[in-house]
Amino acid sequence: MHDDMDEMIRRATRVEVPAGVEDRLRGRLMEFRTRVEQRPPNHRPVLRVMAMAAALLAAVAAGLVLIPRQSSASRVYAAAAAQLRSCQSLEYTIVLNATPYVAVEISFLAPAYRRINCSWGIEVRADGTTGKQIALFHATRNYVAEEGKQVQSSDDFLEQLRSLPQAADEMLGEQWAGGTRLIGYRLHKAPPNTGISGPQAFDIWVDAATRETHHVDITIQEEGKPTHQMHIQNIRSGAPIDRSMFDLTPPAGYTAMVKPGPTDSTQKTWALRPEIKPTSTVVAVVVPMSGSYLQASAALQQVEAYLKARGVTPIGPSLGRFWSEQHWETGYPVPPGTQAEAPFQVVSLPAGLAASVVVRRPWGNGSDSSGRWGAFLKSVIEQGYQPAGPAMEIWSGEDARESTQSTEMRMPVTKAN
Amino acid sequence: MNDRQREYERLIAPIEDRMMRAVWRISRDPGDTEDAFQEALLTLWKRWDRVQRHPNPQALVLHICINAAHDILRRKVRRGRWIEAGAIPEDIPDSSATALQDISGAEESAQVLRAIGRLSKNQARAILMHVVEEIPYGDIAAAMDCREATVRKHVARARARLRTLLAQQEQPSHA
Repeated sequence: MHDDMDEMIRRATRVEVPAGVEDRLRGRLMEFRTRVEQRPPNHRPVLRVMAMAAALLAAVAAGLVLIPRQSSASRVYAAAAAQLRSCQSLEYTIVLNATPYVAVEISFLAPAYRRINCSWGIEVRADGTTGKQIALFHATRNYVAEEGKQVQSSDDFLEQLRSLPQAADEMLGEQWAGGTRLIGYRLHKAPPNTGISGPQAFDIWVDAATRETHHVDITIQEEGKPTHQMHIQNIRSGAPIDRSMFDLTPPAGYTAMVKPGPTDSTQKTWALRPEIKPTSTVVAVVVPMSGSYLQASAALQQVEAYLKARGVTPIGPSLGRFWSEQHWETGYPVPPGTQAEAPFQVVSLPAGLAASVVVRRPWGNGSDSSGRWGAFLKSVIEQGYQPAGPAMEIWSGEDARESTQSTEMRMPVTKAN
Repeated sequence: MNDRQREYERLIAPIEDRMMRAVWRISRDPGDTEDAFQEALLTLWKRWDRVQRHPNPQALVLHICINAAHDILRRKVRRGRWIEAGAIPEDIPDSSATALQDISGAEESAQVLRAIGRLSKNQARAILMHVVEEIPYGDIAAAMDCREATVRKHVARARARLRTLLAQQEQPSHA
């Protein structure tokens, strides 16, 4: 009896779907399939509870490094590397040994505009499409415009970031930086043509959420030389960039320097080897300054006049300390206990380890000074030390006799790790 | 292929044809079928997480399709919109035995569907899943979220109710 009824139902429903109807239903299925495939991960309450429990567990187990699945993590690295390769603009800062005193800002704008801005007062802007570049010496408000030049150091670092391999050699795990989850990857060798030799590690930390490179830690260890590190930070890729920073027009107030000949000091490769030595405390009366370093001479005359009016005799040659063009000071060492009124200040230069070298040349040649400081820093690093304070210059000799003039370059340092 | 694509391949792709047939068999109208199918897909979308976790997801998917089609059938029957025009061919090509059988079959089909449209939801769904889709009682119970014995009871009562309804439908024509 059941069979009869069931058979009647089957007969009543035994029909095929007409082709036209089937086409329309398949269209609906295609839409549905697309929606399913694009469906975001679910967030069921039960899983949220589990996630909270897991988070508590993680908090208890502080210090435990949770390593994400390799496949997913590799995609994060690959996305970051691809983004750097293809981005139309790129800006970042290179800091040496985590010290704020030595930093280089690098900017790139497609197709080939580059800019390097060094913390020691040199800025180079280059247009790779025409081979033109301008070097600005902010200390002395000078510039040198040239053609057919290559911006070697910016090329090196730029290419490091823009030519990262598609896969990393090693995963480093996770770390948090200001609420941002970062995943670390290590390259055992520098990308090719980057100008860095010797065994090293490129540690690239990628924002897990945005898949953009957050920062890079580079360890360089050349045979017979101390290990030192560079950090690439403040990385901004693909962001709008101010085109005026690549302008090759000399800024107002800057004067052209005669293009240096091959025997000129700016073309000379400086081979300074500063001595690492302990220094004693120095008390000085200074005037805080900002803006062009060309004001130094006038500022020193003010300090000198002030001290003379107070009946204070300087106990050493004039000096200047330079954090940046926005923050520097110049003055004279004075006997301990000397008082000063604004705008003059009494400062104490603390005792400690310093790198020091005396250059017996006339004071104040801007491009010459910039080149010397680059060589100075290089030597400091190669000797296994790192900057620990602002650059300082001590000017000896007589104003009227250039042949007597010399400059002691000095910088507080500490032993590199 | 990502996880979502794999989910679709596992849960839906193997029964796409059955889903379409399950809806068409009950609604029998292109527009109604499309509406019912869309309603079923919407329900699936809302319950996708449950479908994934279900012990017999394909039974649940077919259950959802049958529900959507039966809802439309019930509304049509209640409003008296159920006409045989969709089931009985308007143009009878000839008076051969085959053609008469077709008409007879169409009439029977319309009567059965009209009767199914008058069943309770649980009875209709249980008997359609068991008889038409040939889904085992245990899987139907899982899809309907009830005990297997309850499903058997729904099916038994559906058969009894259908007999009554079909008998009532036949009486006027024989009177």
